[in-house]
Amino acid sequence: MTTSKKIVLLGHFGVGKSSLIRRFVENTFSENYKVTIGVHIFKKVVEVSNSDSISLIIWDLEGQDDIKKTRSSYLLGTNGFIYVFDLSRPITFENLNSELEFLKENFPNIPVKVVGNKMDLVTKLYLKDYSEVFGHLVDFFTSAKTGSRVDNLFSKLAKELL
Amino acid sequence: MLKAYKEKYYKNNFQYILVDSLGKIIDTDDSIIPSESKYSIQEVHPFFESISDLFTISNQHYDFSCVNLDFEKKSIIADIVIYTHDNNENIIIIENLTEHYNRYQLTAQTRNESVINSQILELKNEYLLEKEQFKNNFIANFSHQLRNPITASAIFSKFLSNTNLNSEQKNYLDIILSANNDLKYRINDILDLAKIESGQLILNETTFNLKELLNKIATGYQIFATKQNLDFETGFDPKLPSYLVGDRYRLKQIIGNLINNAINFTSKGQVSLHVSLNYIRAEKASLHIEVADTGIGIDKSEHDSIFERFTKVNPNSQNNRNIGLGLAIVKYLLAQMNGNISIESQSNLGSKFVCNLSLKTAKESHKLLEVSHEIVYPDFDKKKSILLVEDSELIQLSILKILSSNGNFFLNIISNGEDVIPTLKNQEADIILISNTIQRYSAEELARSIKELSTAHKKIPILALSTEVFKEDLKRYKRSGIKDVISKPFDDKSLLDKLYKYVK
Ligand SMILES: Nc1nc2c(ncn2[C@@H]2O[C@H](COP(=O)(O)OP(=O)(O)OP(=O)(O)O)[C@@H](O)[C@H]2O)c(=O)[nH]1
Ligand SMILES: [Mg+2]
Repeated sequence: MTTSKKIVLLGHFGVGKSSLIRRFVENTFSENYKVTIGVHIFKKVVEVSNSDSISLIIWDLEGQDDIKKTRSSYLLGTNGFIYVFDLSRPITFENLNSELEFLKENFPNIPVKVVGNKMDLVTKLYLKDYSEVFGHLVDFFTSAKTGSRVDNLFSKLAKELL
Repeated sequence: MLKAYKEKYYKNNFQYILVDSLGKIIDTDDSIIPSESKYSIQEVHPFFESISDLFTISNQHYDFSCVNLDFEKKSIIADIVIYTHDNNENIIIIENLTEHYNRYQLTAQTRNESVINSQILELKNEYLLEKEQFKNNFIANFSHQLRNPITASAIFSKFLSNTNLNSEQKNYLDIILSANNDLKYRINDILDLAKIESGQLILNETTFNLKELLNKIATGYQIFATKQNLDFETGFDPKLPSYLVGDRYRLKQIIGNLINNAINFTSKGQVSLHVSLNYIRAEKASLHIEVADTGIGIDKSEHDSIFERFTKVNPNSQNNRNIGLGLAIVKYLLAQMNGNISIESQSNLGSKFVCNLSLKTAKESHKLLEVSHEIVYPDFDKKKSILLVEDSELIQLSILKILSSNGNFFLNIISNGEDVIPTLKNQEADIILISNTIQRYSAEELARSIKELSTAHKKIPILALSTEVFKEDLKRYKRSGIKDVISKPFDDKSLLDKLYKYVK
């Protein structure tokens, strides 16, 4: 049986939301940055078990430096959120706490996966230095460039949505 | 009338789709998005699949602006509005705004890129600084570790040279001594550059005798050049002032580095040093220094790069000049002294380095101060006792050797920080030397606890034997009550000078 679930990617601009989706859907990556405006919608069907598959309809939102600026209609009926920040740019995770708080308040029972992307750009030492800021909040450290942990991210979320 | 115009200028920008509450298409066309052939709106595009739940609630209005939809043959950006009704008829209005949004996209693109670039630049700077700091720390640490062995090897070679050696042994020893010297200079160069790069190299101004300094340099290099089968020629302008105020050590380093460089790249012929006076104005003397050689020369294309650190100019060029750090230091020091340097040179025709720098002229009253610098080592009525806290056996032996041949001191050696206080409770010391490499204890900590022992202990002069030579280190030492620092590598003279200076 196939059910369809809506996943929304949120986060500052340029953190790699579109790149993560492209890696997941097409298994490609581009160094070029094309700014997303509004929302771009993609779909991928994933097998969750032998009998079950799930149709993920992924909403790639325009980046915002403040989650409250997001157009509310985009968030209607969301089944799962992925909040992405850019490990190499501290400004994209400075307000991580309050951003996540917003989701918790407005979408209390919807799962949220927090993703530190561009893992390929930073060193272990750097991560350690910043772990105080986001360490306890992050679910996945990914790289859309190398593909590291991207599939894990989406399949973990997909399983939780069943 | 208006109706006619409206029809004439009607833009086919809208598409209307009628669906039931399950999303089954009741009526549509293909004007913007292909949908006529589909049974339900969900099949038209995943966007509708993910919002189809909304059709089940009647009398609602939803507004989705700027939605990017890709189809097989085209991509559009549209505003999509949905009205649901209680008669099971829901209307979807699609306004194609692709062009409008594409223009907006360009603006957003420019804005985002410039914001991100500035952030990345910041980060890069931070990274670079970190890297730079790491490098400097690394250099400092690394050269510290070389200091103990270099000190010991220099001191014992020197003592060895005072023993009975046959001429072959003397020759070998000469080579060891000169290699050791070389090593010492190179390490000092590396440290100097680390200091320069972290902004910690400061000039230490005193009044000094210029002519004496130049004569010393001349004699030193005369010997060195002769050993390399080169002529060494000097010329000093008689108009040069005798006394100047400036960093004597650094001036010597500038001239020395230039001569070393010249000698290194000259296999036959001569090296010369000429110093003259440009002018004296506003209590400043402008000096003109020329160091010339008849060596391999430097190609014009390399004139700038040879002042960069670690350059080994053009690996393919036949004159494989491994310049090292000397010239980079010269350039920096000259800049600090408001000076400049230029090169006149061509491949195979020798080189001439020309620099100008100005130093303050000395006031009459200052001139006298400088004369009594040499310390003569007097004998004491009673031998003085020195407590040495040092865990390097090489250094222990070196100091023991220096002091025993001087004959005026008892030496008491401790290798562990723990033993310092108990020892001092039972034994007197006239002076205490503490190394900065003792395990688990810093020299400052030890100094502080000694000072706390008693008023008598407070008065014992404490000197640090240190591999740390940065300005901050020295300040830290002073704050903890350490009187002075003997920096490693040291030789017999620098050790004895300091001991005699502080012993009561
Ligand atoms: N090195 C590296 N670069 C990445 C990674 N992910 C994305 N990028 C680059 O980051 C830039 C922005 O990526 P996007 O995926 O367009 O970012 P976005 O979050 O969709 O940005 P907006 O659409 O403006 O919100 C692009 O130049 C990507 O190539 C990554 O994991 N590693
Ligand atoms: Mg994007």
